[in-house]
Amino acid sequence: MKTAPRVSSITRRKLLKASAATAALAAFPAPLIAQTKPFAGVTLHGASFQHRFFTLLQKYIPEFEDKTGMKVDLQLSALPVYNQQANLELSSGGSAYDFVNVTFTLATRWIAAGLLANLDEFTGDANLTPADWNPNDFVDGAQMPYRDAKGATYGYSWEGGAMLMGLSRMDLMEKKGLKIPKTFAELQQVCAEINGTDGVSGIVSWFLHNWNLPPYIQGFGGNIFRNPPGDVMPALNTPEAIQGIEFYANLLKSAPKGVLTYTEDQARQAMLTGRANIFIHSSAWVTPILLSDESKVKDTSRVVRSPAGPVHDYPASNSQGLGIPKNAKNQKAAWEFIKWALSPEISMRLVKEHGHSSVCRRSIITSEAYRKLNTVNGQDLGALYLEVLELPGKGENYMAYRTSKEFPIVGDVLNKAFEQVATGQLPAKDAMNAAQDQAIAALRRAGTKL
Amino acid sequence: MSESGIDGERKRFIAFALTPSLIVLFAVAVLPAIYLVVTSLTPFQLTIPGSATDFSEPFRNYGLLPGDPRFVNSLAVQAKLSVWSVLFQVLLGMLLALLLNVPSRFVEFARTFFLIPMVLPPIVVAVIWKLIYAPDISPLYYAAQALHVTLPALTSNVDFALTSIIIADTWEWLPFTFLMVLAALQTIPDEYSEAALVDGASKLQIFWYVTLPFITPILVISGMFRLIDSVKAFPLIFLLTGGGPGTVTEVTNYYAYLLAFDTNEIGYSSAVTVVMLLLVCGISLGLVWMGRRREALA
Repeated sequence: MKTAPRVSSITRRKLLKASAATAALAAFPAPLIAQTKPFAGVTLHGASFQHRFFTLLQKYIPEFEDKTGMKVDLQLSALPVYNQQANLELSSGGSAYDFVNVTFTLATRWIAAGLLANLDEFTGDANLTPADWNPNDFVDGAQMPYRDAKGATYGYSWEGGAMLMGLSRMDLMEKKGLKIPKTFAELQQVCAEINGTDGVSGIVSWFLHNWNLPPYIQGFGGNIFRNPPGDVMPALNTPEAIQGIEFYANLLKSAPKGVLTYTEDQARQAMLTGRANIFIHSSAWVTPILLSDESKVKDTSRVVRSPAGPVHDYPASNSQGLGIPKNAKNQKAAWEFIKWALSPEISMRLVKEHGHSSVCRRSIITSEAYRKLNTVNGQDLGALYLEVLELPGKGENYMAYRTSKEFPIVGDVLNKAFEQVATGQLPAKDAMNAAQDQAIAALRRAGTKL
Repeated sequence: MSESGIDGERKRFIAFALTPSLIVLFAVAVLPAIYLVVTSLTPFQLTIPGSATDFSEPFRNYGLLPGDPRFVNSLAVQAKLSVWSVLFQVLLGMLLALLLNVPSRFVEFARTFFLIPMVLPPIVVAVIWKLIYAPDISPLYYAAQALHVTLPALTSNVDFALTSIIIADTWEWLPFTFLMVLAALQTIPDEYSEAALVDGASKLQIFWYVTLPFITPILVISGMFRLIDSVKAFPLIFLLTGGGPGTVTEVTNYYAYLLAFDTNEIGYSSAVTVVMLLLVCGISLGLVWMGRRREALA
């Protein structure tokens, strides 16, 4: 009985407060709602090169904007243009971008030059990154280019590329009693024997020789540099490198005319239409023979690990990452975007809703849903992709040559040398000796101490 | 007001009127050129902080150029490309103009078709020729196959790669020389050739002694324009051969592009570009001097 009037009085006060609050909410709703969105009013500027991942991601960005209140301005350019823009922007200490694509081949030099923010500061803060985001879920091999010598992380990978071998005309091979090649020698034999049968070329490739060729050089036990990333003395004229270049040049004798200037699209098209039997390239370019609606060879195709050399089995792999420039104005907002774009949820939606399989989260690649979508004719393409993507993270990082800052110069020299060998302008030994001298001269000119 | 006062006022007015355009011209043409020269004196690389302002060895890049086999090779390739493409364009343009210099409505209509390649964006021209030279889809190769002729892969064959660029460049710019020569032909009074005809001159003699002297200055000028422009045959090389196979089609500006955009050697690339700029200026001045000398002799 004693409490009743008190309760009644508190209720009246509460009622008055509640009424006032309701009136205020009705009069000024926006600021109150905005308070629930910590990044309201922020415009996030990001840049990358054009890629299907971003085209798909753009469909989901309005959801992210609704959730956070920020606006995302994502600029997409052609790869060479983007690389120049980003190089210039980052090296001049600009703050035009809040997040950027960390291009695989440029990652090491950007990290070494201190142009990117250390993302461990974000993942290490429980207020900024919930435990279930789990940075360790990213495949280690794909993350290697985005770490510095001390192991700090400067990017998270959004795209992975793993070199696989596609065979489009198993029917022809079976007729000739040929098995899927597992070694370089078998590959050479299969290509030569199929070439010309039914108008089919033995193999197809494309013009970026410094991507296609190194697995052969490494297969024979050589490398592009003596011991990258620490020792970047070019190793182009070693007997192993000469063997590798000779082998690849011979292999391309079974390729279509003009293969030296083929683009990736031309090569893929030759496979999809069954005009070429073998294509060894990143999974995204090879697996369409089984997955694409355009493929005329779905029933006769196989996708397997690329053949091993006499010394090593080093299929190339790469990845592309998202990072935050050191001088970005909105670093926390940028991290919010990266966290969202590379979250398990968005990754899984990309796989399920668009069949985009080149994600780098292990939990997604090993999930049942992913396996179902990427198993064709009994071949688990996801398992193959993961296997190759993981390799550089296990033991020796054999892809270190590719992310060393000296690679673009040496890679360009290697391209020219290979073309000279493949077109018969020079014997392999002479071409590689000249390439070695040119690579050393060019590196010294660019300021590398050898 | 005295006459000299009027002159002075006129000069001041002209100076006042020209100043804004001179400022714009300076900003858009001269400043970038100065910046190019300044950059060429540094070891500028995008990922090396401070390299853009390092003038410790200002002539290092220029000193390295003569010992760079790719640079020397690129000059030789450029010379071959320029000489042959300009020669073809001038001769074929003249031939075409002589053939089509007849008063006919049909011919007038047909002339417009010859102008199409010149008005297409260069990258479109490159794509057209990329398709023509692609062995697996090209009508050229289908036709050759029908005639039982085996064509090599033109753009990736050492012996044909540069020729394939020259053919495409000639196709693109032949209309320019054709148009120039046709315009010159139409200014020649008929009386000269009629008089020569009455005197019993053959058609070849009329061409040699009457027509050619009239159109020679135009041939020189169009040749000079094309020579300067031939240094800019970038889209064709970029799309058709990528400078290959090896360095067979790697002209100087393509090498400069690779240095700047592929390997980030901005300073060295600038030095290559400056040398190229000086060579083009030298050739242009030489041709102008030759033209003036010829006029003076006439």
